[in-house]
Amino acid sequence: MRAILGQLFLLGPMLIVGSVVAGDRVSLPKYPQPVGEKCVEPADIMRREHMNFILHQRDETVYKGIRGITAKHSLKDCIDCHAGYDEQGKAMPINAKGQFCESCHNYVAVSIDCFGCHRTTPDEINKMRQLTVKFNQDRPYGGE
Amino acid sequence: MSYLFATLFYVSLGIFAAGLALKLRQYWSVPAPLKIPTTPAPITRSGVVFRMFREVVFFESLFRATKWTWIFGWMFHLGLALAFVRHLRYVVSSDFFIWPLINNWLVQFAGQYASLIMLVGLLGLLGRRIFVDRVRYISAPSDYLMLILIIMITVSGIMMSFIAPIDVVGLKAFMVGLMVFDWQELPSSIFLIIHLGLVAVLAIIFPFSKLLHAPGVFFSPTRNQVDNPREQRHVADWARSLDLDSADQSSG
Repeated sequence: MRAILGQLFLLGPMLIVGSVVAGDRVSLPKYPQPVGEKCVEPADIMRREHMNFILHQRDETVYKGIRGITAKHSLKDCIDCHAGYDEQGKAMPINAKGQFCESCHNYVAVSIDCFGCHRTTPDEINKMRQLTVKFNQDRPYGGE
Repeated sequence: MSYLFATLFYVSLGIFAAGLALKLRQYWSVPAPLKIPTTPAPITRSGVVFRMFREVVFFESLFRATKWTWIFGWMFHLGLALAFVRHLRYVVSSDFFIWPLINNWLVQFAGQYASLIMLVGLLGLLGRRIFVDRVRYISAPSDYLMLILIIMITVSGIMMSFIAPIDVVGLKAFMVGLMVFDWQELPSSIFLIIHLGLVAVLAIIFPFSKLLHAPGVFFSPTRNQVDNPREQRHVADWARSLDLDSADQSSG
C-alpha cells in the first residue's frame, strides 16, 4: 500500500506541472443558470447542506407521509428550476455532463445516487396538469 | 485568512520538501559497513524486494513482535492510505487521466469510512502509550504529541465529512488555485481551518520527527540487504579504496 503511495507522491509535481502547462488557471464548474428568483435556502447553505435537506425531506415524505406544499426541499422542485434546456427547448437530464448536478459533483468526485430512482428532468405531465388547471381557471366552464 | 493559509501552505511544503530531501541524502550517504540482514533473510535481490514489500505493506516484523501494536498501527496506516487517495480529488483536475480512478464511488466511499478506521487505530496506539506500563515508561512527549496531532487532524476531517459539511467545490478551487498561483478564497469552516492548519504543522515537523520512518524503512540495513556474505564479500563504498582485497575482487 505504501509503495503505491510513494508513486502517488510522485504524481504531485506532475500534476502541478500539468495544470500550469494547461494554462486555464483555476477551472470552476459551469452549469446552466436556474430560473426563478431565489433558491429555497441561501446559496452558501445549499452548497454545504443540500444533500441533508433532500434526505430529511425524504424522511418526511416517505416515512411520515407528509406531502404537498409543505415540502420545502423537494428534489422535484430542485429539478424544475435548475434543469437546462437544449436548442429544441427540451429539458436535459440534470445529471448529464455540464448540467446543474453533474458539473459540481464531477468536479469533486462525489457520486449521486438520487437518479437511480428519481427522474432527471422536470415532470412534463405534472406541468401539463398545472397548465390545464390554469387554462380552465382562465376560461370558466362553458366559456367561448 | 485565504492569504494566510496560502502562505502557510507554501512555507510548510517548502520546509517539508527541503527537509525531506536533506534527510534522504543523509540516509543515502550514511555508510552501512557491515552485512547485517536479520535472518532468515532472502538470498537474492528480488527476494529482498519481496521482503521489503511485505514489510511496507503488512508491517511483517511488527506483526512478529507485537500483535496489538500491529493491529492498531496497521489499521491507522491502511485508513491513512485510503483517505489519502480520497483527498486526491481536491488536487487532481477532472480531465486528468487518473480521474476515473478517483471519481469512483468505491474509492470515495472507502476513503470516507477509512477515517473511522484511522481514528480507532490512533486511539489504540495512544491507549497503548498510556495504559501499557513498559511502553509508558519509554514514551517521550513527542510520541504523545505526534499521536494527538494526527488524531486532531483525523477528528476535524471526520467532522467535515460526516457532521458539518463544507463547500467542497470552493475548497477544490482553493487547492487548485494554490497549484497554479491564482489564489482563490478559502471556504469558511472552523474545522477546515483546524484541519489545514494542523496539516501544515505536520508537514513542517515531518522532516525532524519519528514520522521519517516512512522513507527510513527503505534504508534499513537489516531489511534491505541480501543475505550473501559468503558468496560476495561486502565492502562499503567508502571503504573500497582502503581495501586491497576488494580492489582485486572488483577487477576480477
